[in-house]
Amino acid sequence: MVMALMLAGPTFAAIDTIAVDVGISVFKTMPIGIVPFEEESAIKWPSEAPHKILTRDANLSGRFEAVPSDRFDLVLFSKKRARQYVTGSASKLSNGKIKLDCYLYAAETKDVLLGESYTVKPYEVRQAVHSFFDKVVYRLFGERGVASTKLAYVSKIEGVKQVVISDYDGFSRKQITRDSSINMMPVWQKGNKGLVYVNFRNNRPSLYSIAFGGKETPIFTQFSQTFSPAVNPKTGELLFAVTDEGKTELYRGDMKKGTAQKFLHLKSNQVSPSWSPYASEVLFTSDRGGSPQVYAVGKDGTDVRRITYMGHYNERASWSPEGDRIVYTSMDDGKMNIYTCALDGTDIVQLTSNAGNNEHPSWSPDGKLIAFASDRGGNYQIYIMRKDGSGVTRITNGTENTSPTWSWYFDEKKKK
Amino acid sequence: MNKLLKWTLMIGAVGLFAWGCASKEQPETDPSPKTEADAPVDSTLNLEALIADTLSADSLARLEAERLEAERARLEELINQVMLDDVYFDYDRSELTENAKRLLAQVAEILVNENRFVVIIEGHTDARGTEDYNISLGARRSMAVREFLIAYGVDGKRLVPVSFGKERPKVLGADEAAYSKNRRAHFRVIIE
Repeated sequence: MVMALMLAGPTFAAIDTIAVDVGISVFKTMPIGIVPFEEESAIKWPSEAPHKILTRDANLSGRFEAVPSDRFDLVLFSKKRARQYVTGSASKLSNGKIKLDCYLYAAETKDVLLGESYTVKPYEVRQAVHSFFDKVVYRLFGERGVASTKLAYVSKIEGVKQVVISDYDGFSRKQITRDSSINMMPVWQKGNKGLVYVNFRNNRPSLYSIAFGGKETPIFTQFSQTFSPAVNPKTGELLFAVTDEGKTELYRGDMKKGTAQKFLHLKSNQVSPSWSPYASEVLFTSDRGGSPQVYAVGKDGTDVRRITYMGHYNERASWSPEGDRIVYTSMDDGKMNIYTCALDGTDIVQLTSNAGNNEHPSWSPDGKLIAFASDRGGNYQIYIMRKDGSGVTRITNGTENTSPTWSWYFDEKKKK
Repeated sequence: MNKLLKWTLMIGAVGLFAWGCASKEQPETDPSPKTEADAPVDSTLNLEALIADTLSADSLARLEAERLEAERARLEELINQVMLDDVYFDYDRSELTENAKRLLAQVAEILVNENRFVVIIEGHTDARGTEDYNISLGARRSMAVREFLIAYGVDGKRLVPVSFGKERPKVLGADEAAYSKNRRAHFRVIIE
């Protein structure tokens, strides 16, 4: 992010119109001071100390720029224009739990703007700190933050593609599938109760549903090949692609009843559905023009309109939760890159370039961030960037990680 | 469908299994050695007769085994012929090239004459592009192959198209040499 800001300095003067270049932040970020927690006696943190977690949350959020300091330092904070800072205190209880008192202060007056207390098991510290950070976002922006959200993605484990989930920042990873074929295309069910994904155990792509802590079940088994799932954010119903007689078409189905009807009656192939935030419209890809391009259609399957015209391969569009833009993957010269555009296809912005392949963008629930997969570092890993392409941060490592899908917001958990 | 797939896994073992049964069953169906050996008189004579008997049974079994072996080899040869070569496609295309049609004509000949074969036609793509689009592209490729074989006279019920998209590359690599090998339709044969 520092690099992005440095770039922004000299380059802005040269640009008249907002033909946005890659890596130039058009975000205004709010500096926020971050001071280590006071510890009654030294605590051995299971992953990171709370101020490190907060620093990462702040810098990933797309809203803040962390101004870390070893102690409260008004001179530093005012120089960096950090008008608020966060800190707290931590103590270890006799039952092994950790008590966290977290505060948001106004830097100059030292007024408490927000105070939250958490008593948690050591492995729940990250969750508690993320939860506090989201409250800071809400206090200062009046909007929900995404520090408590999660990602589902595909990880190659012992050579097999498996579906895993983790916190949005890549920590606390859990393996969800353990099948030895191929598992891919995970999406979150409504309410984050489980996932829908594609599995190849019968040597063909088939949709499965899995509830967290529960069993996996094949769904829509009346079709032989199913993939490309998209969950309706309002009703939970599923749009998905069905391949029959060589033709691939979209169906909408009720996962509980197992019933499904054809969604579109077009001669062309259709894949990659994506619902608009209020489920009033759907984006999809069709090859009706001879190459894959993004189209939009009403939720009743009428009024198809083409959105992308530039280039020969525009695919996997996904509608911003803020409602005003779409993000998609475009291929040029065999390289894939991520673009956004307005709903009428104008105002195209290239978010990634000159850094390997970049694909499978997925919006954060607040629409500020985009998770994606890139092989820029040699093998495929998951990255997060701001919606303008700045602040690219890798959040996974190890063997290949691909196809991130952001969860919905989690319902507020009761404070303990 | 499931049953068919199970058969696929067993395909390599089919011949061996049949051969194994033939040779194993022989001693079990012939209970004579032990009871005869208990008789005190003329044991040598009986033994000779017994050996002759067993030999002829053995040779029968051997003949049967050889016949099965030959049939198995013939089928395997045919299956190998079908599975040996893949049908290759141009980038982002599912139309059959002239080379593809020549190969498919040979495959079709075998399938028309060997109506026990059920063929899984796997459509694959190269690594470029999205997972979703590539599954639909693979589906179109498997379908193009299926339609050609049907037009040639193969019963469509014995031709099962599936798409693997870009998930199962034959050759790893990010250059045209690898891509061109991965844009393919691959056959797997199962015997009904």
